[in-house]
Amino acid sequence: MHHAVARLALRSLAHALWVGALLSVALIAAASIGETRLGLSMVLQVLANHLWAAGYPLDPIDAGIIWNYRLPRALVAGACGAGLASAGAVLQALLRNPLADPYLLGISAGASTGAVLVTLLGVGAGMLSLSGGAFLGALAAFALVTLLARSARGSSSNNGQIILAGIAGSQLFNALTSFLITASASAEQARGLMFWLLGNLSGVRWPAVGLALPVVLAGLLVCLWHRRALDAFTFGSDAAAALGIPVRRVRLLLVACTALMTAVLVSIVGAIGFVGLVIPHAVRLLGGPRHTRLLPLSALCGALFLMAADVLSRTLLKGQVLPIGVITALIGAPVFALILVRGRHAR
Amino acid sequence: MPPSRLALALLASLGPGSAALAAPTHYPLTVENCGVRLTFAQAPAQAVTIGQAGTEMFYALGLGERLAGTSLWFNEVAPQFKAQNDKVERLADNEPSFEAVIGKRPGLVAVQFEWMVGPQGVVGTREQFAELGVPTYLLPSDCEGKDNLNGADGTRLDTFRIDSLYKSIEQLAQIMDVQERGAALVSQLQARLAQVTATAGERRAQDQSALFWFSSADLDTDPYVAGRKGIPDFMLNSLGMRNVVESDEEWPSVGWETLAKANPTFIVIARMDRRRFPADDYRKKLEFLRNDPVTRNMDAVKHDRIVIIDADAMHAGVRLVDGIEVLAAASQKLRKAD
Repeated sequence: MHHAVARLALRSLAHALWVGALLSVALIAAASIGETRLGLSMVLQVLANHLWAAGYPLDPIDAGIIWNYRLPRALVAGACGAGLASAGAVLQALLRNPLADPYLLGISAGASTGAVLVTLLGVGAGMLSLSGGAFLGALAAFALVTLLARSARGSSSNNGQIILAGIAGSQLFNALTSFLITASASAEQARGLMFWLLGNLSGVRWPAVGLALPVVLAGLLVCLWHRRALDAFTFGSDAAAALGIPVRRVRLLLVACTALMTAVLVSIVGAIGFVGLVIPHAVRLLGGPRHTRLLPLSALCGALFLMAADVLSRTLLKGQVLPIGVITALIGAPVFALILVRGRHAR
Repeated sequence: MPPSRLALALLASLGPGSAALAAPTHYPLTVENCGVRLTFAQAPAQAVTIGQAGTEMFYALGLGERLAGTSLWFNEVAPQFKAQNDKVERLADNEPSFEAVIGKRPGLVAVQFEWMVGPQGVVGTREQFAELGVPTYLLPSDCEGKDNLNGADGTRLDTFRIDSLYKSIEQLAQIMDVQERGAALVSQLQARLAQVTATAGERRAQDQSALFWFSSADLDTDPYVAGRKGIPDFMLNSLGMRNVVESDEEWPSVGWETLAKANPTFIVIARMDRRRFPADDYRKKLEFLRNDPVTRNMDAVKHDRIVIIDADAMHAGVRLVDGIEVLAAASQKLRKAD
C-alpha cells in the first residue's frame, strides 16, 4: 500500500518536472522570437535580472520588450491554449458530441456582440473597454443559452437541448452583430473589430496574465476533480447516473465552469477558433479517451500549440502581425479534416 | 477675419503670374476626377462636403454661403472659419447617410476619402450619386498614386505630392467659379510651405526621426501609425525628417515592439474629437506613452518630445501647412537646444 502511494507520488513528480521543463523551454523560445531581433542570451539575462536580481546591464527598451511584451504574451497564449483545449475536451465528453467546442455555448457570438456594442455605439461611454464589453456579452449569451436549454427540458436525453440552444443563441447574437455592423460601422471600425474578432494578443500585458493564469488553473482543477465523472459521461448520462453521479448538478457545474473560463479568455484575446475543437481529438488519438490523461495532455498541447501559433503570427509576414485566429484555423482546419477522414475509416 | 476681408487679403496676395488661371470659368465645364468625368452646365449653387479637408477648402475660398451641409469632422473647425461654419448645417459628425446628402439637392459633393463614395462607399457609390445627377468630386490627394482596395485606408503606390492638394483647391475653385481666390489660396500656401521648409533647410534635420500615432483599436494593442509615402510622411520629408515606419499602407498597424526599438526622436500624436476608440483621445495616448513599461523608456517620451497635432492637419487640406509648422517648431527647438 505504502509502496503504491510512493510510486504514484514519484510518478506525479516526474510528470510535473518534464511538463514544467517543456513549458519553460517553450516560454523562453517564444520570448526570444519576435518582430525585432533580440537573442536568446538577452532573454536569459532579462529573466536572471528579474528572478534573481542578477543585475546585467541591459537597454531598458530591450529588457522591457522581453519582460513586458513578449513574456506576458507567451504566458497568456499558453493559458488560452490550455483553457480552450481542456474546455473543448470537457464539453465533448459532457455533451457526447465530437463537434462540441467552447464556443458552442454562444460565448464567442455573445462576446462579438458585446465588443461591437462598445465600439460602435459607445455603450459604457468610454468606461467600458472592448474586452470588458466582450466579457459581458459572453456572459449574457451564456445566460440566455442556459435559460433556453433549461426551459426546453422534458425529454430524458437532454444533451441535444443545450447544443440546440447554443446554436440558436449563437445565431441570434451573430445576427445582432451583423445588424449593428451593417447599421453603423465604417470601414475603419470594421477593421478595428475584425482585428479583435480573429484573435489578437498584441495588447496583452502582465495584468492579463494575472487574470488568465489563475482562471485557467482553477478551471482545469475543477474539471480534473470530476475526471471520473467525465469518463462516465462519455457512455451517456444514464450510464453516469447508474454509477451514482449526480448528473444534472455535475453537468451544470462543468458547463458553467468551462463557459466562465472561455468568457474570460475570449475577452482578453478575442475568439481564437479550432483549439478547443481539434486539440482534444488529436490528444485522444495519442493518449486515449481517459480524462485523467486527456485533460492534462489537452491543456499542455493546447498551450504549446497556441504559443507556437502566436510566434508564427508575429513572424510569418515581415513587419506585419497576422491575427492568431487565422493561423490556428489554417493549421486547425486541415488537421480537423484529417481526423474526420480517419474517423470514417475506423468505422 | 470675416470671410469678405479674408477673400480680399487672398486677392491682394495674388501674383501677376496667375492671371491666366484667374479668368472666370467657362461652362459647360468638364473635369477629369479620379477616373470619372464630371460635367457642370453652370457653377453649382449648393454643395455638400464629406470630410473636413474639403469643408475647410470651401471656407478658405470664402464659399461658406454656398455650402448646404458638412460631415465627417475630426476636429473643431479652424477658428478663422468659425463664422462661416456657424451658418452651415452639420449633417453628421462622421459619415452622413446617402439621403441626408441627397436631401440637400447639391450641385456638387466634395469628398475627402474614397472609402466614403468608392466602389464600396459607406455613404453611397459615385455611380449612385451620378444616377441622381449629383456629381461627386473626390480630392485627388486620396486617389492619385494610391490603391484604395489594398489595406484598410489604402496603400500609396507613389509618394504623396503636395501638388495634389493645390490641384484640389484649383479644381474646386474652378468648378465653383472662384478661380482667382483659388489661385490666391494656392500661392499663399506655397509661400508658407516654402518659408517653413527653407528654415528647416538651413540646418538639415536628417538625423531627426519621428512616428505619427493616429489611434489604436484598443489602448494597449498595435497602434495605427502613418506609413511611408503618405501625407504625414510628406510633412516629415519636407523638413528633412525621417519616418520610422516602413510600410506603404496609409495607416498600417505596427507593433509597439518595433516602434520602441526604432526609438524615434519625436512622437507625433493626433488630437481629434472623434471618440470611437479610447486612444482617439490624445490624453489617453500621452498617458499610455508615459506609463507603459516599454514606451516610457523611449527617448521621445523621456525627453518630452511628444508633438500634438490636430488630425485634420495630417490630411491633405488647407491646415496641412499648420501641421508642418508645428512640427518644424518642435524640430527647431530641439536643434537650438543641442
